Amino acid sequence: MNGFSPATHLLLVIATPLIGAVVAWVLGGRGLSAVRQSAAMTAVITLVNAGWLVLRYLQSPEAAAGEPYAVSSAPWLVGGIFDVRLSLGLDGLSIWLFGLSALLSLTAVLVSWNAIREKPVGFYVLLLLLEAAMLGVFAARDVILFYVFFEFTLVPLFFLIGIWGHDERRRAAVKFFIYTLAGSVLAFLGLLTIVLWNASHTGTVTFDIASLTAGTAAHPLPMSREGGWLQMIVFLALFAGFAVKVPIVPFHTWLPLAHVEAPTGGSVDLAGVLLKIGIYGFLRFSLPMLPDATAAAAPWLFGLGVVGILYGALVALVQTDLKRLIAYSSVSHMGYIVMGLFALEPVAVEGANLQLINHGLSAAGLFALVGMIYERFHTRSIANLGGIATKAPWLTVLFMLFTFSSIGLPGLNGFVGEFLILAGSFQRAWAGVAPSLRTPYLIMAVSAVAGVVLGAWYMLWAVERVFFGGSREPPRQGATGHDHGHAAHGHNTHGHDTHGGSDGRCDLEWYEIAALAPLAVFVLWIGLTPAPFLAPPAAMLRANTRGATTAFAERMRTLEDLAPSPQTAHVVDRDQPASREPFTLTSELTLDRP
Amino acid sequence: MQEFSPSTLLVLVPLLPLVGAILTVLLGRQLGAKAHLPAIAGIAGAAAVAVMLLAATARDVGPAHGVHAEPVRPVEMIATLWNWATFDSAYAPPAGSPAADPHLTPQDLAAGKDIRSFSIPVALRLDPLTATMLTIITCVGLLVAIYSTGYMHDDPGYPRFFALVAMFVFSMSMLVAASNFLLVYVFWEAVGACSYLLIGFWFTKPEAARAAKKAFLVNRVGDFGLAIAVFLLWMSYGTLDFHDTISPDGVIMPGIFGQTRLADAAGYVGGILGTAICLLLLLAACGKSAQLPLHVWLPDAMEGPTPASALIHAATMVTAGIYLITRSAPLFAACPGALTIVSIVGATTALVAALIGTVQNDLKRVLAYSTISQLGYMFASLGTGTLLGFTAAIFHLLTHACFKALLFLGAGSVMHSMGGVIDMRRFGGLRRVMPITAATFLVGSAALAGVAPFAGFFSKDEILAALHAKAWPAAHGDHHAAAAADGPFQLARFAAEASHSAGSAVGLDALDRPETWQILFWMSLITAGLTAFYTFRAVFMTFTGPTRVPEGAHGHGHGHDDGHGHDSHAGHAAHAGHGGHAGNAHESYESPWTMTLPLVILAVPSALVGWLLFTTNWLSHFLSATPSLTAPAVASTATPHMFHMNLAIQGTLAAAIGIVIAAIGHLGRRSDGPQMERFLGPLQTLFANKFYFDPIYSALVVRPLEGLALVAAMFDRYVVDGIVDSIAGIPVALGGIVRRSQSGLLQRYALAGVMGVLAIVVLLAWQLRG
Repeated sequence: MNGFSPATHLLLVIATPLIGAVVAWVLGGRGLSAVRQSAAMTAVITLVNAGWLVLRYLQSPEAAAGEPYAVSSAPWLVGGIFDVRLSLGLDGLSIWLFGLSALLSLTAVLVSWNAIREKPVGFYVLLLLLEAAMLGVFAARDVILFYVFFEFTLVPLFFLIGIWGHDERRRAAVKFFIYTLAGSVLAFLGLLTIVLWNASHTGTVTFDIASLTAGTAAHPLPMSREGGWLQMIVFLALFAGFAVKVPIVPFHTWLPLAHVEAPTGGSVDLAGVLLKIGIYGFLRFSLPMLPDATAAAAPWLFGLGVVGILYGALVALVQTDLKRLIAYSSVSHMGYIVMGLFALEPVAVEGANLQLINHGLSAAGLFALVGMIYERFHTRSIANLGGIATKAPWLTVLFMLFTFSSIGLPGLNGFVGEFLILAGSFQRAWAGVAPSLRTPYLIMAVSAVAGVVLGAWYMLWAVERVFFGGSREPPRQGATGHDHGHAAHGHNTHGHDTHGGSDGRCDLEWYEIAALAPLAVFVLWIGLTPAPFLAPPAAMLRANTRGATTAFAERMRTLEDLAPSPQTAHVVDRDQPASREPFTLTSELTLDRP
Repeated sequence: MQEFSPSTLLVLVPLLPLVGAILTVLLGRQLGAKAHLPAIAGIAGAAAVAVMLLAATARDVGPAHGVHAEPVRPVEMIATLWNWATFDSAYAPPAGSPAADPHLTPQDLAAGKDIRSFSIPVALRLDPLTATMLTIITCVGLLVAIYSTGYMHDDPGYPRFFALVAMFVFSMSMLVAASNFLLVYVFWEAVGACSYLLIGFWFTKPEAARAAKKAFLVNRVGDFGLAIAVFLLWMSYGTLDFHDTISPDGVIMPGIFGQTRLADAAGYVGGILGTAICLLLLLAACGKSAQLPLHVWLPDAMEGPTPASALIHAATMVTAGIYLITRSAPLFAACPGALTIVSIVGATTALVAALIGTVQNDLKRVLAYSTISQLGYMFASLGTGTLLGFTAAIFHLLTHACFKALLFLGAGSVMHSMGGVIDMRRFGGLRRVMPITAATFLVGSAALAGVAPFAGFFSKDEILAALHAKAWPAAHGDHHAAAAADGPFQLARFAAEASHSAGSAVGLDALDRPETWQILFWMSLITAGLTAFYTFRAVFMTFTGPTRVPEGAHGHGHGHDDGHGHDSHAGHAAHAGHGGHAGNAHESYESPWTMTLPLVILAVPSALVGWLLFTTNWLSHFLSATPSLTAPAVASTATPHMFHMNLAIQGTLAAAIGIVIAAIGHLGRRSDGPQMERFLGPLQTLFANKFYFDPIYSALVVRPLEGLALVAAMFDRYVVDGIVDSIAGIPVALGGIVRRSQSGLLQRYALAGVMGVLAIVVLLAWQLRG
């Protein structure tokens, strides 16, 4: 199956949506169905190609060795001290997110099938551009290229929200754009500082991520008063960009607004992929390049993750709009991922990385289903919906599946990530922090587990109201409003009694099933056998967090020396096990230390 | 039949119902009224295999020799299916903790030899406890499934019901067969999900949907405890496996309940950590087994179809807590304080639930409170921490599964025939119109009330004996008295002592004193009397007195069992109950044979199994070969098997008093409570309002959390977002000043931004170079 080299394959995957966008534009004159069919075809081709590439990667020797795959590099600005290249490739860190982008792009196209009837050409062209940008951001191996793709995800989504969104679309689009842009400019500044720091030591201005990682490992940015705390400043600059993107509480307020106003397809991509770029950025840049600053910030960010879990869940609890509720549940779930990442424990980091995919699947599925509910009943107000289970049983079954996945029911994917994150966090709290930090860490870990109860509360509350109980007839908008061209499933969709014959049923259409079925398959697959999904990124994750983990252990040891109590915590340093302190059972058992 | 290996058979027990469930989902619509076939075939197959496994395990354990307790060889078998996940060098156990390998030298440690990978195998186990549980689950499941073909007949959700029941049997079998705490957690939640879906089976009823959600959430609180307990266990023992595993380089990794650790008297963590783990496990058990303070979901769960109530909320799922604590016996044995708490929770729950049960008028709710109360009995028994206590709890679990399933199915039969009515005040003299149901119900009631020689009498007697032995150790013969000085007793306390000497005595341990146990014993005895009272109150109200059939029986069903009215027996009874009141005494309202047959089958063990198992002492001997119960701290408490005449008399007396009071109040009358009210006074209000648990939780937990959520939402909207907006407002305001010089185009701004960035970069570069 090696007709062409992996590098060409990768370029082809990223180029396909761009070509598809041109095709859709050209076909624009032929009307809606031609455009959407071509868009769907493009998404399918991209997905098949991307899936094939992922499979090729998994079987390649590079995957086993933890090296980048399908690397292509073209000189862009090479001369003198400058070494800027257009360089693409995949590795363990990006492989699943790359595949997820391709998968969710198809979902995004299919959920828009009937929802988008105005200006379809622009819509699908933008959606395909967004797909190319998402694929590119995970394949970029060069800071400049990464930043270009990173920014380029903003522009299509800005227009998708601003043009095809709901009532407050303008405000939402502008807020989303300004907020993320402000963050990402700071992040870019931070990255440039790293580039220059590296250049000042190596003599070449390289933007290659791998070289930068190696360079900062050899010459770490100063993390002391004499060095002006440069590493911390750069970390905060990167943090500004990535934290807004994730979003980490309190930088999250653009998210619910953007989600509520975005068209369903935009929400799917936003929740499924774009939020993950923030965490990906942390894993790709902050942790390996700025390990000391990461270690210093880790306890705070761990705490911020826990705050996000509880805060997002509490706010979700009182939402009246189903889509807003799920948006806040995203805030809560991203809190778990932040917590797992900054626990700096291998188990937790692997869990967090898997949870990126899990949340991508379940949140995208839920947003897609909310969009389908909106198409049928023209409301997302939980109070006005009810008894959908009798009218649309399969829609209900899928919603329940993604709900269960989201609240971490074992056997489904969400549980795996959540469990590993929490297990790793407990391990960190138990045996990996200085004694003075142990109690706060334990409290945070226990609070995070309590978030699991809250998560079940708001999701099941919404399910009970929306799907169960007697059928509540949602207030119908005038037939002139959104109703106009539901020719394809006209009286299935709104045919409550008035249309006669069709006993109020309005279950899923084929394209809706096609949009959701792949997600459901992965929800079950990852849940039942997570091992093959955990293995590919493991080596890369270990490598990228090693510096930060070591630095964290070092910090804990320093704290311990300062502590009045002579008792020693067990600071596990996996890379230099020689310097381990003995640890006694007594000290382990004494929880209530002063 | 061809020779299958036990591990193949063990896998078949959960696998067959799973296949049944999947087939039902796939073929449900095509099968129509035969949609029960795949599920029933799967469960029947599982039941047959489970019985074979029980026999095979019993052969391994060997027969009991005489009445004297002797050391029993632990029996277990493990089947590993696949590795769920593996993490290389994920964990280094703290030196000196039970997880650490004591054979490693400092050099080894320095070389990182103790750094372990963490792997979670999907492994099943077979031991006497699992074999017993599997047999109960699959056999009761089979009878309930057969019964449901009659009960659920004509329900539009017929295939869905059977798919869920089969799914439940799968999950529950996996729960008791899992050999890993993570897997236990997985199926702990999975049975909760099945329960959620079955309680909310009639989801168009708002009460059912609400009850389902409540059950899931209250259980989630318990799961919270289990999750933290699992994490702490991993921290303390370095593994989550029950069994010993052998690493690739040939080192034995001791499992939590593996032979290696069991043989090591100091192998279990005591002190604060151990107690915390045990109490968290207890919290989990309280959620699933509906013990105080998490019992509030079970009565509401009666909104589900009655067969589901019988299977899940009476016979099997609610016993998961008992299973968990029995399985974790060695952990608890190291923490006497936690054990005492188990008993206190159990005995209190038993008493409180029995008191509430005395004033309920809904037949299913009486049974629900009785289930809570009986589960409390089992917890009280577990908390004694003696071998007798553990085996008595499982013994009672078994008999309870039989007679409570019988009672629930009987109640369902009544409800089915009475057009969905379940209020006992509207019934009377039903023994004349549904004789089979009445007779079997009476057997079940006698068993529940502890009337000799029915099943409940013997198991309850064992529990009272276990409590009595703790309360008056001296009275319990030479064995215990002698042991108090030295000998096995010393060994029994060893783990606890070890943890004490480690320097952290737990305050709770002070609770473990005879006075506490005396109180608990008397509470249990009072509960026995109350049990007999409310059981026979229900029997008398429903089945004796002048015949009264509620309106609408057999007509068009409504209420609980919507859509059942016009069913199989419409032929002979369609016109029988019209008008309702005082139906014809000779008219038969009996349910179809698919429903009465399981009643009759269940009545047999409800009557006999207690006597059989007690006289042969088979069950306790068999169970004592469970690895967890061979831990020295547990096994050394073995006492000779004997019949406690004085306890039997006390128990019977209590039951007799209860029955007599019930007879005075309700036999042959249409009494519905005024005299109770007069008798109880204000207590009546307290009981009828279920001790106000729901309003208290609402006021103390739910409302404050909702208030907090509202505050958080306001904070989010006005503070967090407000700050963001005002920061965003600054450039806009500035922009107003310099607007003239700007064209306002996005591109220009972007260009300016890039220029600015470049300027900063150049500056930075200059500085760094210099």
